Amino acid sequence: MERSELRPILRQKFPRERTYLLPALHYVQHELGNLPEWALQTVAWHLRVPPSEVYGCATSYSELRIESTGAHLIRVCTGLSCWHSGGQSLMDKLSRELSISPGETSPDGRFTLEEVPCGFICPLAPALEVDGKWQGRIATEHIPSLVANLG
Amino acid sequence: MGHCSEAVGADEVAHSLKTALSKRSDACLVSAGCDGACFAAPQVIVTHASNLQQRHTRVTLADVPALVRSLDESHSRCTTESDVEAFFNAQHRRLLSCCGSIDPGSIAEYVSIGGYGSLALALSMSPEEVIQTVQDAGLLGRGGAYFPAARKWQGARSFNAPVRYLVVNAEEGEPGIFKDRHIMEGDPHLLLEGMLIAAYASGASQAYVYVNAEANLSAERMESAIEQAREAGYIGDDIMGSGFGLQVSLRRGAGGYVCGEETTLLDTIQGNRREPRLRPPFPVESGLFQMPTVINNVETLANVPLIFSDGATRPTTPDDGSDQLAFRQQLTPFTELGLESAKGTKMVCLSGAVRRPGLGEVPMGATIRDIVFNIGGGPPPGRNLGVIGVGGPSSGVLPPSELDTPLQPGMLHPSGVVMGAGGIMVMDDQAPVIDVVRRLAAYNASESCGKCTPCREGTPRIVQALDRVAAGGGAETIDELRYLADIVGAGSLCGLGQMAGGPVNSALHFFGDALEV
Repeated sequence: MERSELRPILRQKFPRERTYLLPALHYVQHELGNLPEWALQTVAWHLRVPPSEVYGCATSYSELRIESTGAHLIRVCTGLSCWHSGGQSLMDKLSRELSISPGETSPDGRFTLEEVPCGFICPLAPALEVDGKWQGRIATEHIPSLVANLG
Repeated sequence: MGHCSEAVGADEVAHSLKTALSKRSDACLVSAGCDGACFAAPQVIVTHASNLQQRHTRVTLADVPALVRSLDESHSRCTTESDVEAFFNAQHRRLLSCCGSIDPGSIAEYVSIGGYGSLALALSMSPEEVIQTVQDAGLLGRGGAYFPAARKWQGARSFNAPVRYLVVNAEEGEPGIFKDRHIMEGDPHLLLEGMLIAAYASGASQAYVYVNAEANLSAERMESAIEQAREAGYIGDDIMGSGFGLQVSLRRGAGGYVCGEETTLLDTIQGNRREPRLRPPFPVESGLFQMPTVINNVETLANVPLIFSDGATRPTTPDDGSDQLAFRQQLTPFTELGLESAKGTKMVCLSGAVRRPGLGEVPMGATIRDIVFNIGGGPPPGRNLGVIGVGGPSSGVLPPSELDTPLQPGMLHPSGVVMGAGGIMVMDDQAPVIDVVRRLAAYNASESCGKCTPCREGTPRIVQALDRVAAGGGAETIDELRYLADIVGAGSLCGLGQMAGGPVNSALHFFGDALEV
C-alpha cells in the first residue's frame, strides 16, 4: 500500500470515531505487516485522536507491532504445557539453527524468532507458529527441515 | 476442524478428502468444530446412512485413500477407539453436546435440532420472567469470578439509560485456556442464542462480541454465524415479531491477558490503552461509553439456551398428565447437575503430562482426579504425576496429594488456588516446582499493564525473589516472597494483580520445605 492510499481507504472503511482505533490499527497491520510512524499519524488524523495517544495505544497491545519483522516470523510457545513438553528445546534448537536469540531478527532480515506465552493449542504441545500458521506436536528433529522449507 | 486440529494438518486432510469425494454423489464432507478430543486430532467421523458412525483418529494425508475406499465396505457396528470412548464417557456434556457433530457454518442445521427455540420461548416471556428463570437456575459466570449472571442483567436493567450494551467476553487470553474457542468454532449459534436471550433480559440493544486477536477461526465462524442469523431474522429489529431488536458487531482484541479483564475490555472497545478502570461505578451502571453494560463470558451465555430448552428445574408431574412439557421429564434440568453452590457443568481445559489432553465438560464438583485420570487417562506410561497447575497463570499449584479437591467457585484451597476459567495443566514429577512457579510469576509480571504500582512493581520483584530462592536464598527470601505476594494481592487494581500471589502462596504452602533448601 502506498502512503497516499491510506487516507481514502480509512475514510471509506472506518467512521471517524475513536472506537474504531483498534479495528483501524488491525487493518493497517494486516496490510503492512507492522505499524510505521506515518501510518499511525494517518490513523490519528482520520480518527481525530492525538498521535501520542495512538502511539500509546499501539504500543500497549502485545499483538500490535511498531517494528517490522523478518520475512519469516517464527513464534514458539513456552507456556506451561508446551514448556513441559519440550517447548524450550524447540526454542533452543531454533535459536542455534538461526543464530539469533528470541526477540531478534536475523541480520539478513530473513527470520524473526519470538517467544509467546500461549498458542492456545495446549493439548497439542509443544507448538510453534510459522508465518501465522500454528503447528502442534513438533519435535526438535523437525526443526532443520522446517527452517529449510522456509528457504 | 478446530484451531487445534488445524495445527496438526486437519486442513490438508479436509482438502484432500474434499477432492476425493467430489467425484461421488453418495457422500458429503462437513467441516465441524473440534469435539474436544484434541489428543486424537485430526479426526474424521464417518456417519453412514444407517446412522452408524466410524471414528478415524490422528488421520494423515496418507490415510485418505484407504479412508475413502472404506466407505463402500459394509459396516455392521459403530466403531470408536477405546481411548476416545473413555475420554467421552468420563464427561457430562451439555454445552459441548453438538460441538464436533453439527456444521458450525449452517444455521439450518442448528435450527433443525431445536436451535433458537429457547429464544422463542424467552421472547414469549417478560424480561423479568427470563431473569427470574436464570436466577432460579443459579447460573454463575464462567469467566472465573462466578458472579450470578441474572444479577448482572437485573442490574443493567435497573438503570435508566438511552442505550444499554451487552459485551460477550470472548477474549480468553489466559495461557492454558481454550474452552470458549471450542464453542465459537464448533457451535457458534449456541453462543448467539444465549447472547440474544441475555440482551433481551437486560434490555440491551447493541451487542459486541470481543474475540481474542489470535482466535482467527473463532472470529471467522462467529462472523459467518452473525451474518446468517441476521439474514434469518434472529438479529436485527423486531426479532421474531417480539418488538425486541439487537444489533451485533464483532471486535477483535489485540493481545494481552489483561484485555480479558472486563473494564479493560471496555476501554479497548472505546479505543484506549489496555488498562482497567477503578470500580465503582461497576459496568452495569456505567460501562461501555458510560452506559449500563452487561459483560458475560462465552461459556456463561452458552449455558443460557440450555436452561430454557432443558428446563431450569424438573417440572412437577401434572395431575391430569396432559402437560405439554411432559417431554422435559426426559431431560436433565440445569439445577440437577453440579453443586448446591454452583449448578451445571464446567468446561475444563486439560493439557500437559496426560495421555488424553483436550477439552472436557464435567458437572461442577467433579474432582481433579476425575479430570486428570478418568478423562485424561493419567500420566503417560513411565511418567509420574507431579505439580498440577489449576485455573490459569494467576491461580495456584496443587500437589498430587490434593487430587480429590472438587472443582467449585471460590477457593479450591485457602492458599490461593482457584478454579478460574477451568484450566488444568499437569506436570510430571521431573518438573521442579520452582521452575513452574517462576514461569507463572514471570508471565504475570510481563502482562502487568503498569497502571497500578503494587502490580507493576510487585510482580517483577516476585520473580526476582523466586530467582534468589532458586539460588538458595533461604528463609529470609521466603519471608520476602510471602510478603510481596500478600501486598500485590491486597493492593492491586484488577484481578491480574489481585491473583498474582496465588502461584507463590500455594507453592509455599504445599512445597515450602522443598523451596527452602
